[in-house]
Amino acid sequence: MSTPVSHPFQAKPSLSRTFESGVFWLFRSAAYLVLACGAFVFADIVIKGAPAVFKTSFPFVNTVFLTEAPESLCVFDYEGQKREMGDREFRAFREQEAARAAAEGRKAPEIKATSFVYSAGGIFPCIVGTVLLVVGSMTIALTLGVASAIYLSEYARQGPVVAFIRLAILNLAGVPSIVFGLFGMGMFVIFLEWNVSLLAGWFTLAFMVLPVVITASEESLKSVPKGFREGSLALGATKWQTIRKAVLPYALPGILTSSILGVARVAGETAPIMFTAAYVVRDKLPWQDLQSAGDFFFQGVMALPYHIYVVSSKIPQNEYTERVQYGTAFVFLFIVALIAASSIVLRTKLRGRYKW
Amino acid sequence: MTTEPPAAAVPPPSFAIVKRRLSFFGLTLDECIQVFFGGNAFVAVVVLALITYFLFREGSQFFGQNRQNLTVYRQAGLEYVDFMRRQEQAHTALTRGLFELRMRAVVDLTERQKLSLADANQRLAGFDDYAGRFDDAIGPLRGMVADLTEVATAIKTKFTINEDKMEERQQLLEAGRVAESEAVKVEAVDFERELAPILGTKEAYLEINRALKAEFATLLQRMPPAPTPALQVEVERFKVKVQAYLDTFPSIEANLAAWDYRRPVPLWKAFSAYLFGRQWLTASFWQDWYGVVPLFVGSLMVSAVALFLAIPLGVGAAVYVNQIASAREQRFIKPCIEFISAFPSVVLGFFGIAVLGEALRSMSQVTWLQWLPGFPIAERLNALTAGCLLGLIAIPTIFTLAEDALQNVPRSFKEASYALGATRLQTITRIVVPAGLSGIISAVLLGLGRVIGETMVVLLCAGNRIAIPDFTEGLGAFVQPVHTMTGIVAQEMGEVVRGGIHYRALFVVGIFLFFLSLGINFLAQKIVRRYRISVG
Amino acid sequence: MDSPTKSLRSVSHHPASPDGKSTAAVAPTLIDIENLDFHYGATQALHGISLKVPDRQVTAFIGPSGCGKSTLLRCLNRMNDLIDGTRIGAGSIKIRGVDIYQRDVDVIELRKRVGMVFQKSNPFPKSIYENITYGLRLQGVKDKGRLDEVVEKSLRGAALWDEVKDRLHASGLGLSGGQQQRLCIARTIAVEPEIILMDEPCSALDPIATAKVEELIHELKLKYTIVIVTHNMQQAARCSDKTAFFYLGKLVEFAATRTIFMNPENPQTEAYVSGRFG
Repeated sequence: MSTPVSHPFQAKPSLSRTFESGVFWLFRSAAYLVLACGAFVFADIVIKGAPAVFKTSFPFVNTVFLTEAPESLCVFDYEGQKREMGDREFRAFREQEAARAAAEGRKAPEIKATSFVYSAGGIFPCIVGTVLLVVGSMTIALTLGVASAIYLSEYARQGPVVAFIRLAILNLAGVPSIVFGLFGMGMFVIFLEWNVSLLAGWFTLAFMVLPVVITASEESLKSVPKGFREGSLALGATKWQTIRKAVLPYALPGILTSSILGVARVAGETAPIMFTAAYVVRDKLPWQDLQSAGDFFFQGVMALPYHIYVVSSKIPQNEYTERVQYGTAFVFLFIVALIAASSIVLRTKLRGRYKW
Repeated sequence: MTTEPPAAAVPPPSFAIVKRRLSFFGLTLDECIQVFFGGNAFVAVVVLALITYFLFREGSQFFGQNRQNLTVYRQAGLEYVDFMRRQEQAHTALTRGLFELRMRAVVDLTERQKLSLADANQRLAGFDDYAGRFDDAIGPLRGMVADLTEVATAIKTKFTINEDKMEERQQLLEAGRVAESEAVKVEAVDFERELAPILGTKEAYLEINRALKAEFATLLQRMPPAPTPALQVEVERFKVKVQAYLDTFPSIEANLAAWDYRRPVPLWKAFSAYLFGRQWLTASFWQDWYGVVPLFVGSLMVSAVALFLAIPLGVGAAVYVNQIASAREQRFIKPCIEFISAFPSVVLGFFGIAVLGEALRSMSQVTWLQWLPGFPIAERLNALTAGCLLGLIAIPTIFTLAEDALQNVPRSFKEASYALGATRLQTITRIVVPAGLSGIISAVLLGLGRVIGETMVVLLCAGNRIAIPDFTEGLGAFVQPVHTMTGIVAQEMGEVVRGGIHYRALFVVGIFLFFLSLGINFLAQKIVRRYRISVG
Repeated sequence: MDSPTKSLRSVSHHPASPDGKSTAAVAPTLIDIENLDFHYGATQALHGISLKVPDRQVTAFIGPSGCGKSTLLRCLNRMNDLIDGTRIGAGSIKIRGVDIYQRDVDVIELRKRVGMVFQKSNPFPKSIYENITYGLRLQGVKDKGRLDEVVEKSLRGAALWDEVKDRLHASGLGLSGGQQQRLCIARTIAVEPEIILMDEPCSALDPIATAKVEELIHELKLKYTIVIVTHNMQQAARCSDKTAFFYLGKLVEFAATRTIFMNPENPQTEAYVSGRFG
């Protein structure tokens, strides 16, 4: 037991030091617990949902699930064998069996099937609907949002008007999504008589995501150095020329990447489209059987989040529903996660690249 | 210098900086563009105004309709009958208490005193007699309430049919089909005459009541003793309850005597019945009630659970990432938590149904956790399940904003603290966190706003039972199923008649939510602003 | 005096001034600032400035930080318009007799004629070529030959041609600090202004780059009127013809540079130029 050198700055183990590291561990566990919870949810959906989407044989992706419409699952006993098949397949099978029986001169066999709604087929119409909703609403939101941000960051002078606009944006960001749903229903569905339609859903979602787009765009515009604007103006450019040539091109990547987070939000929301755009089930795809081009905008669609809601709480639960529930959740989470992850990665990259 | 400018140059007109530009309506092209962008900037304002307008457009008529609803309730005599019904229901509650007492006695006798079930029942025979007599006492009143219920319902139906006919006639008149409109027969409901059978029972009721009082007085005295001292305490408590019940009789009688179907329902009643109404009961054969309290309480409870989890975890993680974590950990944790915020709420709700609800329930059945209030959990879907998932939704919001607030604490504060010999922990707790505190508080408020407005998770996981949880169970109330404001709108809006009172009531819930969120937002901004001044 | 109507731009031979004074003393006035008051919101930044900037000479504004010299410079092409809450309280600025703050003045036209080089070089993140043609393209010039010609001329004018002629299409941000600043000057020359305002153009440069820019200023003044704000008194002494000394928003002294540095009238000026404060 020798203390070789004794000096006043020597580190000594002490109670307070132990306490400090204990507290740090507490904070650390808070952070990692959050991550663990997120990871657990993610893993659960992925592990249980993957079997519905992937399969072990070529082409490894369950194309039926991704490319076909939902249908009822029929379960029946036939010739001592338990069979499961989709509704359409079942009908064909029944007719085929009847024909065979007729050919053999037997009485057509009576097949009694129990059917389970939505448990067979796929979710293609939902994917299509979600994509349509996202594309349309983001187009509207980006147009309005970027224009609004340009005004706020380039033209507006500090004053009561701008303060008021900013207040409105902040407050709009806090409005619950179900209230947007009610508003969309009151204004677009009822007042403007658009009924449950893509158009109503687009505007509702666009207004909901507007604050995100405005804030993101303004931040990107602000991060373009002031020197670019001054340099351009000092060369005799007009304000609009300056914005178009010396500001927007450099802000655009930032605007787009940050707005992708808005896309994730639009894709993920259910409440606003429940009364404005989503159908529980619709046989036709959005581009089938249109009377005129205008009809395209005035039709409701199926959507992934709403489908998850329907299959997880509106239909009777049984052993066959789990496949479609987890499968849909997996596809949906995968899409949204992909969007969000690309936004986060792009932003980090962008931050590194643009250093003026 | 080789050049020598002219000594007195006359300014040539060449400095042409005055120029007329192309103009539309007195604005140059550039100004037009500015006006265009300016117009767009007002979109946010316009949307807010539109939201307000359309919510009120659809919702504001609710109060008039509710007043009408309450008026019919009174005129058709439903209110009168309900006075009696409440008396009956209070009795039913007492009877239930008696049975619970018996259950405990049985448990006590069989488990502690090791009696067989038959013996235990034997011992309780006297008690059973007593309970039976207690229950029977209400018989006459129950019969009367049942009879009157039918009468009142009939009056109400008559009135409703009348209303429908009047509307039909109105519509025909508007369509110009006069003859047809006159063919629609409308018989005005003569409430006086219709109510006569109900009001005629007054004497009979008083008679029943007198009998009831006498019966209870005897029953009170003949209450059999409990098998154990612990239960005897309960018995005494029960007696007090019965006495209290008896004491309400005079006021019920007074209510009935004073009741008059002609007394108008004031408008404020329509508001207060909504704001303070403890029942949300729709599509009922008897009477619909639109009271927001159970929904509001449900929302608050779910949010309380969510914040209880999200504040320590979110703020803790923010402090860790901002102050303690290494740069590599920061680069890893921050995007991951942001990533969690992208989880769609409907997926989380599904996860709650599929996994979390069941997991929590089976956990609640573990023996060594029984000390926790409310355990074991009866319902799979309840405020706790929803709250846990909402917590996961609120954490990224709180984390990101709180981390921002900590980031904004000037570095110099920290450096000064270190330079004075403070440890890292001391610096964090005494300098950094206090300096960022208002930012953290506003982060928590915004998290609350996010949680209160969240729909899908509560719709799927909160259990959707429209009732104020039983707070006598203390914290156990949190594992009871609840319904929330957002959930009710999402659940019922698809099934209601447009323009009906129920439809409008849901819009009023929307208005309530809207202003609640504005209020929370306003508060959060106020706090942040103060914080900016204090640091800057 | 033989051709008073002749454009001032042309560099022609003039008869020597009759009294034989230094060029600075007799140069005609180009910018005439009269009694100028300028406000940033509630604070007054300039108090009653009166100053006559001579044509095709270098005029330097010196003074300690916050004395208003940069503010005055930015008034000359109305860059201050971009800042909220600024206004001219009183007085006027006339360039060739035209009041640049009068209502019907087009700011864009003004800025084409009064170019500006900033303290921090601010090339656009585009190629060198595009940086220089930016101003002309805005005016609608599309002719490739004309643009090429202007690029070469401007780069030569800014003494940068030899250094960058092989990489005209490389990014302007790839140049060194001094080169970037000269690129900005070239960019300004390309739109052929009459006046070039320089706001501490060398403050971010090393001594060698500074020397190059100063050399450039000497050449530029043959064609352009230059107003330069500088912190560096040696620089003012080296490259300006006239110098104005500002202090606390007031013009303390304005005279030929030689006078200001050798024989200032005002004791404050003397204290500043001799380095006793500031």
